[in-house]
Amino acid sequence: MLTIIKKEFKSYFLSPIGYIFIGLFLVMFSIFFYTDVVQYGSTNFEYIFYSGATILTFIVPILTMRAFAEERKTGTEQLILTAPISLTKVIIGKFIAATLVVIITEICTFMYFGILCFFGMPHITTALATLLGFLLLAMAYIAFGIFASSLTENQIIAAILTVGFFILTWFLPQFSTVFTNFSLINMFSKFPQGQIDIADTVTFITFTVACILLTLIVLQRRKSVR
Amino acid sequence: MIELKNVTKKYGNFTAVDNISFTIEEGEIIGLLGPNGAGKSTTMNMITGFIEQTEGDIIIDGYDMLKKPKKAKREIGYMPEGVPLYTDLTVKEFVNYMAELKKVNKKVRKEKVNKIIEETGLKDVEKKLIKNLSRGYKQRTSLAGALVGEPKILILDEPTVGLDPKQITEIRSLIKELGKTHTIILSSHILSEVSQICSKVIIINKGKIVAIDAPQNLENKVNTNNNIYITVEDPENKIEKMKDIITDIKDIKLICTNEDGTKHYSIETQGDKDIRKTIFTEFAKENITIYEMKKQDVTLEDAFIQLIEGGKN
Repeated sequence: MLTIIKKEFKSYFLSPIGYIFIGLFLVMFSIFFYTDVVQYGSTNFEYIFYSGATILTFIVPILTMRAFAEERKTGTEQLILTAPISLTKVIIGKFIAATLVVIITEICTFMYFGILCFFGMPHITTALATLLGFLLLAMAYIAFGIFASSLTENQIIAAILTVGFFILTWFLPQFSTVFTNFSLINMFSKFPQGQIDIADTVTFITFTVACILLTLIVLQRRKSVR
Repeated sequence: MIELKNVTKKYGNFTAVDNISFTIEEGEIIGLLGPNGAGKSTTMNMITGFIEQTEGDIIIDGYDMLKKPKKAKREIGYMPEGVPLYTDLTVKEFVNYMAELKKVNKKVRKEKVNKIIEETGLKDVEKKLIKNLSRGYKQRTSLAGALVGEPKILILDEPTVGLDPKQITEIRSLIKELGKTHTIILSSHILSEVSQICSKVIIINKGKIVAIDAPQNLENKVNTNNNIYITVEDPENKIEKMKDIITDIKDIKLICTNEDGTKHYSIETQGDKDIRKTIFTEFAKENITIYEMKKQDVTLEDAFIQLIEGGKN
């Protein structure tokens, strides 16, 4: 599995994709840092992450759309699927590699925390809870993105499916309160208040695992219908 | 080494591979032949475990591909059709990645990777990105990826497609060399290639096995008339009389008259007798100068076409 993680992580930075993801996120994050924090003269680092979650909704497909769609299109899936390695490890390897890129991004956001420390006393515990929630949200998004990528050999379709699904879960609560607990972004919203909600944490993890299992089923099934 | 028992692959109602069985012994080089869409790649994809058969068993070196996929896959080096590669890696990175995927021991990995790069003639380009390589080098890189991890079995799907004649001979001699230490299955639709390299040929058409035999035997199986082609200088047209002089000649047909006045004939003979010597002496007596004389060869091509068309009728 380490082999897959290493290779996938490396290829994020061999192609510009990794840099584009981190760069785009930090540019947007800086803008929100100015509008949400600096303009109010506040030191609430965690507030930026409400907007940060919105950014994530739109840029996660950059990381995930290639995962299986490209392998399928170029035929390289024949190389990994005929190698003596289990499919589960391949999927989890790709998942972890993408998660590592997000973790790097989170580490980069620490510089904003540093800037705030210079002007006041931001809450470190709240900030950490926020980062944890943000990571859980990102993992759920990535898992879904990889699942979408396993459905098609077209990266664009995979990306549109992913963003489409995220936007859908985002706005569903507006139609009916029944859907409140289906919204991933809603679930994230308690973390910047400094609460680590067990129910939300479990839901995020369950959603992530479910997406990975679905990917496994899709790829396994393709073996017999391909 | 490789055993297929009543293997069938269906896509909905379409049967791509229909109940095929064969056994391949260690050290054999097998050619898988067939027209496009015959089921060659499907068969290879099933042997490598890339797709699953609908029915039947595939046993690789004693391991069932469905029940013990990891062990079975470790015995196989696969070079897929169209040489898929990770184009943003360098040659060395790619071969190393394949070595890691195949769980080559870390201590010897570097050395093994270097050895394979050397053997496949990639030393000069090992630091180049794969996307910048020529087709021939890409093919070699793919072969290097298949070779790494010391598999007992090599499966090569159309290994010489898209190469220039020089590269084709190079890859062929490389495969012959590898045949000394590996069991090889290669698919091709170039018949001369198969008859040169392979010890046994499996001809597939429409998902069924049409013939399994050594290339020479397949050629012998095919019955053709014992024709002789001859080019002569014969201004007085005495060749017409020859039919009466040499009784073994059944018929003489003019194929064409060349620009220099020589004529090209096909001579049909009776029975299996080789009458070239008689023709040579008798024609000389009549002052007919022979420029060229050739017995019609039965090629694998003929065997192939006859077997495939025989299947249709």
